[in-house]
Amino acid sequence: MARPSILRRTIATPLILSALLVAFALAAWFAGSRPFNQTVIDIFLQVVFVVGLYTFVGNSGVISFGHIAFACLGGYVAAWTTIKPMMKGSAMPGLPDWLMQMEIPYWAAALAGGGFAAFWALVFGAVLMRLSGIAASIATFAMLAMVNAIYSNWSSVTAATSSVVGIPILRSIWPYMIAAILAVFIAWAFSISRYGLALRAARDEPTAAAASGVNIARVRLIAFVISGAIMGAGGALYAHSIGIVTPDTFYLGLTFTTLSMLVVGGMGSLSGAVLGVLILSSLIQGLRWLEAGVQIGTSTIALPGGVQEIALGAVMILILMFRPTGIMGNSELTGRRARTEKPGEPGTT
Amino acid sequence: MNRLTAILAATTCLSGAAFADDERIIVGFATAETGFMQAYDKPAQDAAMIRIAEINDAGGLLGKQIEVVNADTKTDRAEGAKAGLSVIDQGADLVVVSCDYDFGAPAALAAESNGLISFFLCAESIKAGIQGVGPNSFSASVLGAVQGATMAEWAYNKKEARTFYRLLDTWTEYNKSICDGFDWMMPQLADAELVGQDTFLNEDASIAAQITRIKSLPEEPDAIMLCTMMPGAVSAIKQLRAAGINSMILNGSGVDGSYWLSAVPDLSNFFVPVQGSIYGDDPNPAVNEFNAKYTEVTGGAPATQYTYPGYVMIDVWAKAVERAGTTETSAVVAELEKMKGEPTLFGPRTFTSELHHQNQARYLIVETNNGTPGVVDEWTISSPIPVADLMK
Repeated sequence: MARPSILRRTIATPLILSALLVAFALAAWFAGSRPFNQTVIDIFLQVVFVVGLYTFVGNSGVISFGHIAFACLGGYVAAWTTIKPMMKGSAMPGLPDWLMQMEIPYWAAALAGGGFAAFWALVFGAVLMRLSGIAASIATFAMLAMVNAIYSNWSSVTAATSSVVGIPILRSIWPYMIAAILAVFIAWAFSISRYGLALRAARDEPTAAAASGVNIARVRLIAFVISGAIMGAGGALYAHSIGIVTPDTFYLGLTFTTLSMLVVGGMGSLSGAVLGVLILSSLIQGLRWLEAGVQIGTSTIALPGGVQEIALGAVMILILMFRPTGIMGNSELTGRRARTEKPGEPGTT
Repeated sequence: MNRLTAILAATTCLSGAAFADDERIIVGFATAETGFMQAYDKPAQDAAMIRIAEINDAGGLLGKQIEVVNADTKTDRAEGAKAGLSVIDQGADLVVVSCDYDFGAPAALAAESNGLISFFLCAESIKAGIQGVGPNSFSASVLGAVQGATMAEWAYNKKEARTFYRLLDTWTEYNKSICDGFDWMMPQLADAELVGQDTFLNEDASIAAQITRIKSLPEEPDAIMLCTMMPGAVSAIKQLRAAGINSMILNGSGVDGSYWLSAVPDLSNFFVPVQGSIYGDDPNPAVNEFNAKYTEVTGGAPATQYTYPGYVMIDVWAKAVERAGTTETSAVVAELEKMKGEPTLFGPRTFTSELHHQNQARYLIVETNNGTPGVVDEWTISSPIPVADLMK
């Protein structure tokens, strides 16, 4: 039987990744430092974003520059639904009445953000998923630019480029950890599902997959919608982590950070997506500590400001030099000796 | 950790007690030390440090020396939240945040949720305070709208300007706020007429279309209210003058400074409101002394008037702490809110329980004539701009 076997063979991956995430959360909990806690929250949000991105990019092989647009959609859903009605009235007077009066808890906002993003992923995806290769990538980029332009200018509903404030701030680490773990499990479940396998087959051998009856546009669309939902929920939680949203938070900066984490980690691997975030974020954090200065004995040593960005770039180049397919390549953490997933292998029964 | 490329002695205390205690008074700067906001935060922070040094030299605050802790926001919002939490963990009694509302808000919100006072170094949006952060947040500068209102009223009264043209760069909230203040003032000026208005974007290489519309007016307007900021301002000003439009140009404080004047040679009939003069001709000799001190400490003269709010910030906060006899938040906020026209080096300051910002302020008017800027007048708008109009 195919299903129990693939479940059993792959369940270790999300479990190991979740254990890693729990370890990070516990580290933050024991450290008891608020800035460090916030850093780990940031890492969990990046995990959600990169895993969301992986769900589409990793399985379909189409690089998307547009997924941060879904985070933007989700982030603003959080703003629309969780800010106190009084404050909403002055910042975003154009909201419909029912939305103006709405005040829901953060987890509901995250679900709503995911749902809203998934809806738009369905609409955009229905058109975009017919394209492939670089045309699809550029089209996703155009989608990002479009969403950004709308959210930067629709002042009565998004307050245009002004920061939207008043989103309740959530500084507890656990909801973010749960979101990251959920994202990992959703991504894993999708990749071993019938559609995930079909999509990977289409990634590796589009002609053969199509000849075997895979409707490529349709399976891509399913991945696009699921990853859009993850990004949307991530965007909503991001809004709750710092309490403000602006359209330019969800634009090129975040797009390239998340993409580079995915590429460095290994584009075709869920473990790579998570490890890419954990390794690069830890590196960034370590360098920032050094920049701020470390006390050794009576003297404090510090790196000059800006070294962090340079060192990060150098490390990323080195990783890609020695491991062009990223840290994990196409393999997953399974608890056993790492092995490369051969194209089509998980599909064999 | 064994191959550090550089070793610097830290100037500040980073060891950090975990909680604020009554033995120490700590000012925490969660500001940008890197990234583009550094250009705005650094001068104001240097000015704040000068005031702190003055207070410490004079025996400190409540008999204690003020200590300083820093955290870099890296001109990033998420980092800003961490920087705010970091200085709070190091025991800050006052959290100083970035100049700009967007970049300072995450740290200010962190301070607010920990029940601490936050001060924006030089934000000019009404949101930098009660309206956008909460009841313990303040800004050290003056609302952008006051600048537009000041220029309109001053030009009307002192330059007999009657026809105005409004040219708005829609790029930032700051620009919009200047024009909002101008719009608020216009109806109050009898027989002043708005003969036209237009918008452009800071990044527009050419504003030829807008210039054509000004040129096609039956008569050149007396004054053009130009609501814009760097870097696009230079190009817009240059194009206006190159097209032969000689109307007086009214601006916000964002174009203060002489660093860009060489790009528009012999610029004349150009007016900027400033809180204090960097040109060495401030009517208050104490400001010129401050400029000299700033030059001595930092190695360069202030580049724009946005240096000054940092000094004002520590000044008013320290006075409030002195009067309250404690650094405890609610007591200090109450003292700050009692300030009505509190004299500072850069004009009187007022805080109320409704507004932690200046909706009326004395401005010096700097005129640039043949490429040389200098103070020609000062003006305070006849009535404060109501909070309701600022929120609109």
